[in-house]
Amino acid sequence: MANCLHLDPSELETLLPENTLKTRVPQYECDRQVRPAPSRFRNEISKYILLRNENCIHCGKCMTVCQHKVHVTYSGYKLFPKGRYHQCIGPSCAKTDHYCVDLCPQRALQIAENPMIKCLGDFRWPADMILATWIMAQTGEVPSADYGYDYECGDSGGGFDRLRFQFPDNPPADIEGEVDTTLELNRRDDGRPRITIDVPWYGGGMSFGSVSNTTQLAKARAAVAWNTFTCTGEGGYMERLRPYDDHVITQVATGLFGVREETIQRVPIVEFKYAQGAKPGLGGHLLGDKNTVSVARMREAVLGISLFSPFPFHSVYSIEDHMKHIDWIKHVNRRALISTKVSTPTDVDMVAVGSYYAGTHIVHIDGGYGGTGAAPDIAKKNIAMPIEYAIPKVHGFLEAEGVRDAVTLIASGGIRNPYDVAKAIALGADGVVIGTAELVALGCVRCSRCESGRGCPRSIATTDPELAPKMDLEWAQQRIINLYHAWRQELIRILRRLGLRSVGELRGRTDLLMHLDFPPDKTEDIQ
Amino acid sequence: MCPAIHKGEEEGGCGVVGFCCSEPVPGKHIHEPSKQMHNRGNGKGGGIAAVGFLPEQLGVSREVLDEYYMLHIALLDPAVRADMEKEFITANFDVAHACRLESCEDWQSVPGLAVQPPDVWRYFVRVKPGVLKAFAQQNQLNDLAPDELEDEYVNQNSIRLNQKYYASLGRQQAFVLSHGKNIMILKVVGYAEAITQYYRIEDLAAHVWIAHQRYPTKGRVWHPGGAHPFAGLNMALVHNGDFANYHSVSEYLHQRHIYPQFLTDTEVAALMFDLLNRTYRYPLEYIIEALAPTTELDFDKLPADKQKIYRAIQATHIHGSPDGPWFFILARNLVRQRSFQLLGITDTAMLRPQVFAFAEGEVQVGLVCSEKQAIDAALLSLSQDDPRICPVADRYWNARGGSYNDGGSFIFNLTPDSAGQLRLTCTDKFGIPVPMPGGVEPSDGTPEKIPPSSSKSPGDRKIAECFETGKAMVLFEHLRDHIASWSFSEFRAACRLIAEQAGEPGKAAMAITALTLLHDRKFPYGTKKLSHIIHIVRETLRGVFAALPGLDEQEAGGHAFRRIDWQGRDSLRGPSAGESTLVIDAEGFAPEGKDCDAALLVDAYAKGWRHFIVYHCRGQRYIGCGLGPETQGVTIDVYDSSGDYLGSGLDGLTLSVHGNAQDQLGQIIKCGKLVIYGDTGQTFMYGAKGGEVYVMGNAAGRPLINSVGKPRVVINGTCLDFLAESFMAGDPLAGGGFVILNGIRFDDNGHIVPLPEPYPGSNLFSLASGGAIYVRDPQKQMVDQQLNAGEYVGLTDKDWELILPYLEENERWFGISIDDLLTVDGCRRMPSEVYRKVIPARAAEADAETDDAAGEGIEEELTVNQFE
Repeated sequence: MANCLHLDPSELETLLPENTLKTRVPQYECDRQVRPAPSRFRNEISKYILLRNENCIHCGKCMTVCQHKVHVTYSGYKLFPKGRYHQCIGPSCAKTDHYCVDLCPQRALQIAENPMIKCLGDFRWPADMILATWIMAQTGEVPSADYGYDYECGDSGGGFDRLRFQFPDNPPADIEGEVDTTLELNRRDDGRPRITIDVPWYGGGMSFGSVSNTTQLAKARAAVAWNTFTCTGEGGYMERLRPYDDHVITQVATGLFGVREETIQRVPIVEFKYAQGAKPGLGGHLLGDKNTVSVARMREAVLGISLFSPFPFHSVYSIEDHMKHIDWIKHVNRRALISTKVSTPTDVDMVAVGSYYAGTHIVHIDGGYGGTGAAPDIAKKNIAMPIEYAIPKVHGFLEAEGVRDAVTLIASGGIRNPYDVAKAIALGADGVVIGTAELVALGCVRCSRCESGRGCPRSIATTDPELAPKMDLEWAQQRIINLYHAWRQELIRILRRLGLRSVGELRGRTDLLMHLDFPPDKTEDIQ
Repeated sequence: MCPAIHKGEEEGGCGVVGFCCSEPVPGKHIHEPSKQMHNRGNGKGGGIAAVGFLPEQLGVSREVLDEYYMLHIALLDPAVRADMEKEFITANFDVAHACRLESCEDWQSVPGLAVQPPDVWRYFVRVKPGVLKAFAQQNQLNDLAPDELEDEYVNQNSIRLNQKYYASLGRQQAFVLSHGKNIMILKVVGYAEAITQYYRIEDLAAHVWIAHQRYPTKGRVWHPGGAHPFAGLNMALVHNGDFANYHSVSEYLHQRHIYPQFLTDTEVAALMFDLLNRTYRYPLEYIIEALAPTTELDFDKLPADKQKIYRAIQATHIHGSPDGPWFFILARNLVRQRSFQLLGITDTAMLRPQVFAFAEGEVQVGLVCSEKQAIDAALLSLSQDDPRICPVADRYWNARGGSYNDGGSFIFNLTPDSAGQLRLTCTDKFGIPVPMPGGVEPSDGTPEKIPPSSSKSPGDRKIAECFETGKAMVLFEHLRDHIASWSFSEFRAACRLIAEQAGEPGKAAMAITALTLLHDRKFPYGTKKLSHIIHIVRETLRGVFAALPGLDEQEAGGHAFRRIDWQGRDSLRGPSAGESTLVIDAEGFAPEGKDCDAALLVDAYAKGWRHFIVYHCRGQRYIGCGLGPETQGVTIDVYDSSGDYLGSGLDGLTLSVHGNAQDQLGQIIKCGKLVIYGDTGQTFMYGAKGGEVYVMGNAAGRPLINSVGKPRVVINGTCLDFLAESFMAGDPLAGGGFVILNGIRFDDNGHIVPLPEPYPGSNLFSLASGGAIYVRDPQKQMVDQQLNAGEYVGLTDKDWELILPYLEENERWFGISIDDLLTVDGCRRMPSEVYRKVIPARAAEADAETDDAAGEGIEEELTVNQFE
């Protein structure tokens, strides 16, 4: 298995203090094989439903013709139970030779849109995108065109949803061979290790407390499988994450919950979280109900009390304080790369350049569209700059400074699918961080109730002892591994269609994009 | 037509330093402190200002220096000089003297410069009487006093010059660096310390010096227009921080027809000050109030007449009051009063670090800096030139922003005494002088004259006897008991004798311990100046350390101590048999990064060393960080000017700071001990999880914010404000954390006396959800208004049982006895009469309830979260 660390174990010994090495545990290994991971709910939400009337004679014809295994029967049962509707491709099946509605000798079948779909999703994550993500997580492939899912864009009416790639009519022929999707994270020539990840994204920080153990571990295992990273979030470094040390980013956030020297020393990357794009200037906030016994113990705080992470760091009120902060972590962990996560105020370009000069390896800009239900509605989408504006602004400013190739620019905040990944990179980012998409893969329905009561009704964002165990770790890890696979395959297809051999070649290629509000022949104007 | 308000570039914090001296001192002394705050800038802007020169050094007469305006103009494009002079100098002014400032021929030979500094021209000018008269008539300014009128003309002339050659052009060609009498500002794209070298002003003497290391975030700066200091008339201002309301303040100035030309918040600050000073003619106290308003409890504590006037000032100027982190240092020439002034003003929320110091004596020095180590560097540099200046100041302190007791500002005034000699006084915003320690007898600064130890005096024999006992405490007590009656030379002789004894392998540890006690403990010194005693002890200790055998020396004669320094750093190896303590001479080590002494300490720890002494610190950071978890049994003793982030992340070891400490100490500390024999700076123990911490003096702003777990802290002094905000450290009686706040200080005799109030801040324990504060408040001075979601409760026997061991340990470290703490007005009281407990209001409510659910929860949690 490839390792993102270009270090052999003996080198680690020279870089980690003995007493941290002593606590190192054998590292978990995991392949990236796609395996089916069907929905864990008996009745998965589907786009279509099949209505079967009383004319049905239970001949079983529909079962034999259907290619999508929609119709099921159980031995010993006479009647058909409810089928796997979510696998049905709907009316588009009529064009095929296996359309059960037409082939039913009794004309007993009818396909209709599931009325529930109208309540699923929102403008940024429409129902089709959620359903498509579930299919990716289940099968490891993007849904076939037959489903007719419109998942490349949402309906927000702006940003990524109005951007399209201008694919050439005939893709260039000479793009056989491998397409390179790896991403180099250390571009400073500062003697710190090189770290290469196999896909141009890694998992965002979600604290233990905001999400369950299982969710965190599933993310970590997927990171191991795909040789990328996951982030602890603010709530401390769970002991259970230790077998994944080499693929974990320790987050040092403003509350400093659970941050200790050993948790800084264990990992190859340490991330400073100054702000989240979903709620810049508001710090973090874990409501009292979610501060359960285990969370309180992890954070060494008082049970049931709302936990605030202040904004900003009380020790960092200026850029030279930030440099001091970075120097501190670099001193404590001599091999760590430093990532600086900031939201996107109007002067985000200056912040990025300042961070670069302060010694950061990764500038992580978090736009206003990210965030789960826990971020206050008034803040979400309303304070930070949309990431689509921030990326080219920062990219261009770093280029003008002549330091663009010495820093890795990571974008996050509303990266929902492989098309968003490609668009973000084409706008000027090196890679992205994803958050919500992973949760959707685990069955999130975007109900935006993450913060309420005991937490997530889908057992993802909760530490409630009754709710949390309802999700199985092996299943969850496979769902994310499958999702990553589907994304990577689709990203490769996009690159091939554009005639590019690597993700790096796509960076900053705004000429390959167009904005729907500006007809293609006028795209010159908006650049 | 109003130009659009936009800020040219983002500005971070920076390093600022200023000092003033009753005698003119050369520019090279600003070099050292600037250099030591190198890492607070990024080499993209540095500046210095000086006030109060010697006329002969400038080639002018005393009269010209005092009466003429001294203009400094930077020529970014030297070709414009003729035109510029024609329009803005010779046409309007009588010029007494004009010259180009000397500079190095090869700017690249000066380290720390990023681009070639501009040519700077200096002009001594007075406005031509006819021009001035016309100006007065044209602008209906006939009512102004002549000097005010001339000031205004000079001001407007500079604005016009800047407008023509700087602000209105795409290409900047020239701008005014400073305008005023007896004042100079110089700035470069580079580090501040490069200025003294480039402009060859190492030997130029002045009474007041300030410097600024800038950290602009925009990279390619090609000229120094945006660097600090910024000029107002007869003043220079440097700034550490960044306004949140730049637009609002600019708007406020626009409404008064003042238009910033350099587009940084510092310029706006200088313009604000100048407006309040010259246009509104406010006294300094009101200017400070307009900039940093007094709020909350502090406002309520003001006398009624002050409240009335302050309320009016706030109503008028709140929109022009800079919001957000800022700290200003100003150098001013008060022409009418014939005095010079240095002042520091901190914002109401105290978001930037600041330290003030005063060295009293024949030559007086007042200092204000962003870091204490810069004060130490400045004093050291000054003392090397002039033995009358002691490298240790008589007092170090912080200002409490927007407060009723000091107003968040201290002002050093250099005013002529009856003999015409400039003498330095220091007052707070309200004009109350800063009290100085009682001892006034200085040491003569020269080594003692008595012959070396061949002729044994009775005193010498006594010290030898003390060594025989093998007990450091006995030696210390001997010194302590005699110091008041000794002369300085007797004291020096005793110190030298101890140093000699320390050369013997068996006695080094005892000598070091005794000298350290002498340095750390407080006891009567008689009439002698404490700062001089401390200085002698520090020098002796440094000598003792320096004489210890180096790690690279073959034969150590059985010494348990081995020393390592920057030159010998490659000789680092593990300890051999009999070697226990590694002594690190920090001088020469970088303040951070691979070459810092803290990194060497980590390496040494990995090689097996467990005891460390770090001395000769010059602000180096991160000492005691990076050793990893479970470092029980390791000790680190730090001497001299330790730096920021010391002991942040401590997990087991014991770290002692012998002297005042700086900012961000003990962050995320998990366990172990941190002992500070002095004051500590901002955001002390932010996010701490545990540990035992003892502070002999005060903590500055925001100590113990967001602490969780079980930190146990004794602060013997007090804090500026915001102590233990969002404290979440459980129930102290069930293993949680707490802070004991004693609210005391030492008097000149080393006795403890209560501070005027145990905690002056308006915010204590705000939004805390766990833990407790035990505050020594026998007079019940603390009020509900200081709490936000906290509650005062009585001290129970259980509480006393809990805190007693920590007070006992506090006594062991600092000699602060529990008896003394429990004695109020001469009477011994019960603990519950002396200490009060502050707990979260929620905890007070829930006190009676027992929470069975929590117990059940734990079990369940353990089972459901297993996955392996």
